Amino acid sequence: MTAPLRPILANACARAATAEEARFRIDRPIGGRSALVFALDGEAADVIDRVAERPWRGARFLRAGGGAVLRLEDELADADVAIMIGTADADGAAASAIARACAERGIMTAGLILGEQLEVAAAVSALRPFARNLMVTEDEDDVAEVLTALRA
Amino acid sequence: MLKTEINELLTQTGPGTPMGDLFRRYWLPALHAEELPENDCPPVRVKILSERLIAFRDSEGRYGLIDEFCAHRGVSLWFGRVEECGIRCAYHGWKYDVTGSCVEVPSEPENSNFCSKVKLTAYPLVKVGDVLWTYMGDPAHQPGLPEFEFAQVEPEQTYTSKRWQESNWLQALEGGIDSSHVSWLHSGGLKSDPLFKGTKGNEYNLNDLRPFFEVAEADGGLFVGARRNAEDDKYYWRITPYVMPSFTLVPPRGDHPVHGHFWVPIDDENTWVYTFDYHPTRALTPDERQAMKDGHGVHSRNIPGTYRPMENRDNDYLMDREAQRRGETFSGVRGIAQQDASLQESMGPVVDRTKERLVSSDTGIIKARQKLRKAVEALRDEGITPPGVDPAHHRVRSAAVVLPQDESFIESSREALTARPGVAHSSV
Repeated sequence: MTAPLRPILANACARAATAEEARFRIDRPIGGRSALVFALDGEAADVIDRVAERPWRGARFLRAGGGAVLRLEDELADADVAIMIGTADADGAAASAIARACAERGIMTAGLILGEQLEVAAAVSALRPFARNLMVTEDEDDVAEVLTALRA
Repeated sequence: MLKTEINELLTQTGPGTPMGDLFRRYWLPALHAEELPENDCPPVRVKILSERLIAFRDSEGRYGLIDEFCAHRGVSLWFGRVEECGIRCAYHGWKYDVTGSCVEVPSEPENSNFCSKVKLTAYPLVKVGDVLWTYMGDPAHQPGLPEFEFAQVEPEQTYTSKRWQESNWLQALEGGIDSSHVSWLHSGGLKSDPLFKGTKGNEYNLNDLRPFFEVAEADGGLFVGARRNAEDDKYYWRITPYVMPSFTLVPPRGDHPVHGHFWVPIDDENTWVYTFDYHPTRALTPDERQAMKDGHGVHSRNIPGTYRPMENRDNDYLMDREAQRRGETFSGVRGIAQQDASLQESMGPVVDRTKERLVSSDTGIIKARQKLRKAVEALRDEGITPPGVDPAHHRVRSAAVVLPQDESFIESSREALTARPGVAHSSV
């Protein structure tokens, strides 16, 4: 067996990770995500209406709870993440339908339940099987925070 | 993704910065207690939150943490002599006590009161557990002493180590919140590490590489739950508490001790990592303690006489491609601590978060950043005391539990997530 080659240049070893070097890292533009944001109840719909007013890279906002009719196969066609927003009244059946449609298409699902932990326990239970990532928060700003972090 | 200004807000902790002001509301680990082992022992240079300080232990056992530099000519007091209840500058003999007050200026007349007008910045330094803690903020806002369980149990039940990480504190902390990397980067350790192996929880971990994550608010920070499938329609939950600003606990495994970290900014490009293991109800065994000293579990093996890990950026972390190929380590770097540090340091001293591409499984990190930002702004704009200052917020535990699928990990684990003296931790 040959001995492993050892780096002889500073830029070929761990010491290269300096602040100076970081300024010159390849800066290829990063595309956004194709995010679909679903409101699972009326209160959540009010929240996403407010959030939707901000500039986004392509995120789309839809009402899914309370009997809203969606053609999921069309809506999900180019999505790569589905984020379900709910409150204590979150529509579990809608979440289930969205999650199943996402699972068939390999689309990541996440859920944000807005409200105090005890008050939204039932909604969390309803969403838990379907949202791979779930956040329970009393802060409405988290919706925009998550979307921004995901470049939605 | 964070905007440049938010990244700078969160990562800069020097004097006068908003995040620096936030950190200065908390008691923070400043030294390992072993660094000042006896009265009048040699002083220790300490850099924390970009401030250069000197720590010493006087003739009566009092700890002092004061400005490193003599008020006279700016000489480092590290060269000084710790004697007769003070530290004396090696240059002209000016002497300071643990409060930073100058108590002697030898060149002045014997009855001069000049020295009473000379005082160095000084911060309280208090031993709690194996750690010397300091509070660097306004004395009017000084909170009660830390009540983290690892520092409250009997000495034979706890062990603390310390290591230098060459990166900004935030990217180090984020590794402590991010459970999703464990099944990959640390997969080798789950099978072989003496402080991890042989538990049922490991089987759940290794059998399900796509956990679901749930993030919930806590009074002092967050709880991040990672759930995997268990048998009989149940979930295996690993619950990580985060207490602001920079304390994280790792969920336990079987009857192994509980471990966690405190991430303390040295400056904006370096971090002290205090790593602890403790067992709430029994003494650590000699084998466990030796394993910790040898750098197993979440501890590092350090270059003797230093807190610099043996695997560091000067030697490419002793990369072992053969061990990587054999599957003993996933990344080729030995030890969980340096597996994390090697990758976090490779990001650069302060990672440019405008370029990152987060996914929804990073929700815990997203929420932690948001909590930090909001706390910084609330303190700066309204003077609101941030979460985690109240010692009651320190009394948390990590937990690993199996629960029915329809149960809330938070509600079902309230007791398990609360530090209760003399009560065993909840672990699988």
